Amino acid sequence: MKKLKFLLFVLTIFFISCEKDKFEGPMLDNPNLEFAILEPLDILGSTDFSNNQNTYFKTSFSKQVDWKIKIKGLNSGSVKNISGKSDFIDQSNSLWDGSSTKIPFFIGEEDCLVELSFEIYDTIIETVINIQSPKLYDGANTILITDFENGFNPNFTGFFQAGCTKALSIGGGAGQGVNFLQQFGTCDWDWLIGYVDYYSTYWWNQDDLVNDPAEVYFNIMINGDSTISQTSNVPNSLFKLEFYEDENGDGYYDANTEDRYDYEFDVDWNGWKMMSICYNDVDKLVLATNGGDGVRNPSKISNVRTLLLANPDSGPAKADVDFLIWSIGSPILN
Amino acid sequence: MKKINLYYFFFFFFFPTAILSQVKSNLWYDGNARVNYNRDALEGVLKEKDTISSRSNGGGFTILDLGLHFTPVDDIEISSEIRLQNDFGGMWGNKSVVELRSLSAKGIINNKIAFSVGDIYLKQTKYTLYNYDQELSEFEPSIFEFYRDFVNYENYYKSNYWRLHGVQTNFSYNMYNYIKQLDFDGFATRIRGQEWMGKPELLMIGGSAVIKSINNLNLGTHYVNTFEVLSSSNGDVFYYNPVLNTQLSYTGKLRNIPYKFLLEGGFSTRGWGGDSLAPQVKGNFTEATFSSKTNKGKIKIGFRYVDTDFRSVGSQTRRVNYNTTTTSYPYYSNNYTQRKASLIDIISDPKIYNQNLSTSLMNYNPMYSSTEPYGNATPNRVGFTAGIDNFKLTDYISAKFQTQYFSEVIGQGTTNKRLFSKSSLHSLVSLDKLLSLKNSFDIEGGVNFESVQRNGDDYEKVDLKTILCSGSISYEILKNLKVIAGVKMFLAEGNEFIAERDMYDQINGFESTRYNSEETILIAGLQHYFTDNIYFTMQYNKFNVLDKTKVYDEFSIGRIIFMFNMNL
Repeated sequence: MKKLKFLLFVLTIFFISCEKDKFEGPMLDNPNLEFAILEPLDILGSTDFSNNQNTYFKTSFSKQVDWKIKIKGLNSGSVKNISGKSDFIDQSNSLWDGSSTKIPFFIGEEDCLVELSFEIYDTIIETVINIQSPKLYDGANTILITDFENGFNPNFTGFFQAGCTKALSIGGGAGQGVNFLQQFGTCDWDWLIGYVDYYSTYWWNQDDLVNDPAEVYFNIMINGDSTISQTSNVPNSLFKLEFYEDENGDGYYDANTEDRYDYEFDVDWNGWKMMSICYNDVDKLVLATNGGDGVRNPSKISNVRTLLLANPDSGPAKADVDFLIWSIGSPILN
Repeated sequence: MKKINLYYFFFFFFFPTAILSQVKSNLWYDGNARVNYNRDALEGVLKEKDTISSRSNGGGFTILDLGLHFTPVDDIEISSEIRLQNDFGGMWGNKSVVELRSLSAKGIINNKIAFSVGDIYLKQTKYTLYNYDQELSEFEPSIFEFYRDFVNYENYYKSNYWRLHGVQTNFSYNMYNYIKQLDFDGFATRIRGQEWMGKPELLMIGGSAVIKSINNLNLGTHYVNTFEVLSSSNGDVFYYNPVLNTQLSYTGKLRNIPYKFLLEGGFSTRGWGGDSLAPQVKGNFTEATFSSKTNKGKIKIGFRYVDTDFRSVGSQTRRVNYNTTTTSYPYYSNNYTQRKASLIDIISDPKIYNQNLSTSLMNYNPMYSSTEPYGNATPNRVGFTAGIDNFKLTDYISAKFQTQYFSEVIGQGTTNKRLFSKSSLHSLVSLDKLLSLKNSFDIEGGVNFESVQRNGDDYEKVDLKTILCSGSISYEILKNLKVIAGVKMFLAEGNEFIAERDMYDQINGFESTRYNSEETILIAGLQHYFTDNIYFTMQYNKFNVLDKTKVYDEFSIGRIIFMFNMNL
């Protein structure tokens, strides 16, 4: 019993000595504490993004705040937003791999304006960062269909109505790189402005897509002009994607026995925007076909058709496209 | 059609085997059967205000879990459990399911080494591998047990074991020196399989060695390591979490009263290899308990210290997963609000429970559990516990009582520390003994009181108090047929800061939350026992959740439930 008492005494002493004065997590938001920036904003790391390098920001504040870093390309116009809530900014919460939140993409040798702002304080800190080389998106987990940088592949056939335009633009203003495909026009007798078939045989990257539709994302940059229809008061330009599956592998799509999946959306924005669609979310339209096994098989896609549509009563439509690419696991801008 | 074929397959496959079993007696059966039907209907104000949700919805099922045990030789037993389920509303095989619920084999090699493979149930110590009970389930009247049995059974919770997939072996040596016996136990399990383009496989290995001496002194060492196998993915980051626990126990007698003293301690490491941003944290723990058993009851007092950075996958995984959607009215009100899991779901909904070990600390609701959301392994706690179990005041009154006082080891977001206190009391009054009645007549009552407090400036103060009062009455009107009625009333009021954690479990923010909640559960019905293991119950339940902070609309439903349960 004496030993037991001794042991309990030693334990008590031991744990009293375990008292610690520090605390876990960021300091609680104290409304009485004045906000101050404790160390100047610093930029560390490398902007050689094409070689998988990354950069991050470093600073600290007197209290926990909602902060936002906006990086804007002074030539490309690309924007990257990073935000958080903390009393510090470091590698753990501000790592940047050169990706964009708003396209077009950043370009090489480009100066970018970095703006650090706070939700409830007016303080804004500005600095400039230079991008040594831009991030390359067509990596290991992507399959590039086309980025038009080597011109428009004539094997990507299609149809555009008389008076409507499908033309390769090589004069800049692209979503990615220099070239992009212009698509615009007015058709007062049909909804269809035009379409382009991107056959898998002619995709830039000939790797096979994985067959899990939840992991496969179709990404396309679209440049809209947000024209509103005069008659229906909705965005004038409609964009449709059709995915054709060659299920029996005979080299062509048979509507009676093979699946087609569709995805349609309004082009209601102005400028470039990246649209990313998970292959699990594409629809099998009732009127499309009565054949096929009804199972989404990305690895059997033989053709991606992009269609520009508009109400014939409502006037012009526009949706330029660029950088058609499949990504695996997440959308390309994730 | 496929399902009907399955029935034929099982019939023709097992029928000859069953006949054979009568000859050689090497096939035997057990299992469980359950029939459940319930109908939930909106009640109270919600019934008038909610014009979107259906007025009522119901459903039910018949389940037969047939356990087949085959012993091809004396030392080997192969067990499987096949579930035959038929949801109400289906015909001709529609909504009928046949599925394998478990498959395992166990045996003994040379009468010395026991082994199990397949679906195995594992438990080690409270700091290495332990499946803690769901919150507010202890100290509740027994008429609520049928719900808890249902929830636990559907989630493979057997006592405090985790159901895992792998291999386990154990063996003992009997000796004749100072050491009386040596026990060894080892296991290897796969917690998460391979994922395409995903995380690596997650494995858990562990082992125990216990030395029992002739002078009632036992020394045990227990080790568990949970880790990801880097080569099973195309990534370059892998998780690891080894935990070591050493226990020293002594049993003796003091004035002819038996007692046991247990001292245990250990440490853990948790990190991500190949990730320069991931912190590696190391934590330790110590617990000392003294327990004694008298003819009046069992007494237990203890002291516990668990470090802030102590991490253990096997013992810190929680049963209730608050991120899941509730089964009954997951959305309600004209705002189509998602209903948060509340006490009614904790009691009755098996779907909000978790069956997999989690590599990060799971969310918990401070309203229902603050002092020990992760059981004894809750990090950042130091304090005392005391309890009396099976305390017999008289022949007809028994009680159990537990109280806990803890403090944080270090504060969260401030140097001020939270203080936790939790007290629970349960009492059973056997009125049939008191009044010398022939038929069983029991009254039960329970109280759980919990409080969290943190002092300091206004912006850092925490003051949260919760109380759960429960009571029940059951009277045997005919032999084995009881009229039952019960109530649970839960009140929570105050404020708390909920820690928000990043992918590495590090706190990166706090959400200030205010609570003012009132929940009521009423039960009334009949319960008939054919045997201890075969019973049916037919009840009307009323559930009400009132959020006085007015963030959520009042939720109120009535439920008619019929459940037949049979353990073969």
